[in-house]
Amino acid sequence: MTCDKYENALLLAAASNGEMDAKLTRHLACCSRCRATLRAERELFARIDSALRAQMDEDPRPGFLSQLRLELSKELTARPGSNHVWHVAGPALALVLMAMFYPLVNARQSSVQGNLQMPTIRALPSVGITQSARARKDLGVRSSHHSKRPAVQSASPPEPEVLVPPDEQKAFAQFVARVAGRDARAEVVVSPAADNPVARNTELPGVASVDMAALQLQLNRTEQSEWMAKTGGPE
Amino acid sequence: MQEFTWPGRKVEAELAFDLEKATLRREFEQHLKECGTLAFRVARGVLRNAADAEDVAQEAMLRSYRRFARLRDPSRFRAWLVRISFRLALDHGRSARRRQQREIAWATDLPKPTAEEIAASNEFGRRLQEAMRSLSEKSRLILLLTSMDGHSLEEVAELLQLPVGTVKSRLHSARKQLAEKLR
Repeated sequence: MTCDKYENALLLAAASNGEMDAKLTRHLACCSRCRATLRAERELFARIDSALRAQMDEDPRPGFLSQLRLELSKELTARPGSNHVWHVAGPALALVLMAMFYPLVNARQSSVQGNLQMPTIRALPSVGITQSARARKDLGVRSSHHSKRPAVQSASPPEPEVLVPPDEQKAFAQFVARVAGRDARAEVVVSPAADNPVARNTELPGVASVDMAALQLQLNRTEQSEWMAKTGGPE
Repeated sequence: MQEFTWPGRKVEAELAFDLEKATLRREFEQHLKECGTLAFRVARGVLRNAADAEDVAQEAMLRSYRRFARLRDPSRFRAWLVRISFRLALDHGRSARRRQQREIAWATDLPKPTAEEIAASNEFGRRLQEAMRSLSEKSRLILLLTSMDGHSLEEVAELLQLPVGTVKSRLHSARKQLAEKLR
């Protein structure tokens, strides 16, 4: 029972190989069993230390350093401090990132291109006539290739049938007027469209509609009769 | 757009690169013998097999050479080398196949003066290694480094960049655990 009290102190003394405290020294002087325990513990620690030291003090074989130099000389072709893993991993990572983001970028580009490729002039499929013909019709112009039926005043539906970007409205109106053979009227045609400026969308090209009703020539009666006489209109 | 560089400047840059490389190589050569042995011993302490330890030490030295430009401070370099050698040795030792080879080679690695000593030594060595494996990595590294000839507690503390008191307490705890398993 008395010896159990010194058990920890004994182990500590054996492990540290240091000085023992006075109480333990006095106990060891009169206890042969504890002296034997201390000796055994010290032997055990000495054995552990010696086994570890024997293991740790072994030198590499003589050829080790020369082999190491040889391997290092192969490294000379590469810049010190560079990580060779990145030579492979870098491009691979770039490829993976491209593969990940390509569908997103592609989708975005398609969307933008889709917007850019929106028809600037859109004819209603049910109408079944060319845009210029419709424009002439809306202007009250009769084509020389068509019958001599009188030009019908606009019967256009309320929804706009021609979509023209704002910066092309003037040119389109001039085109329509030129087709109608009335260059002199171009300015008349253009002015209503110019009165309705459309706010430009800087992000995507804005496509504004042109109200065909605004493009119609409002001829007065004198001009109408002159035009009728010139073109051989219905009488 | 690629920037235009004069041909002379390119040659100059290449020469500077070669010069820097040569300087680094020369500095590294000065550490080679001492640090190569250190790396080998750390690996040998973990693996108990000289051939495997050489492989690990070589790998550790090559890695340290690649990082030498950033690890020119000798104390930092040695500390880094010890850690990388220990870590590589642990990884290497986890391979079951190599472990088996080491167990076979273990018998030929130890000195065998007498038959009784062979048996006792082998048995003790086996039990010691088992006990070592049960220790934490931190304790194990401290135990290995303090067992190296000429490594005081202060030097081990410097190698591991730890306070001396921490090294001392970890060492004491590790030895106590070993003794408990070997008693």
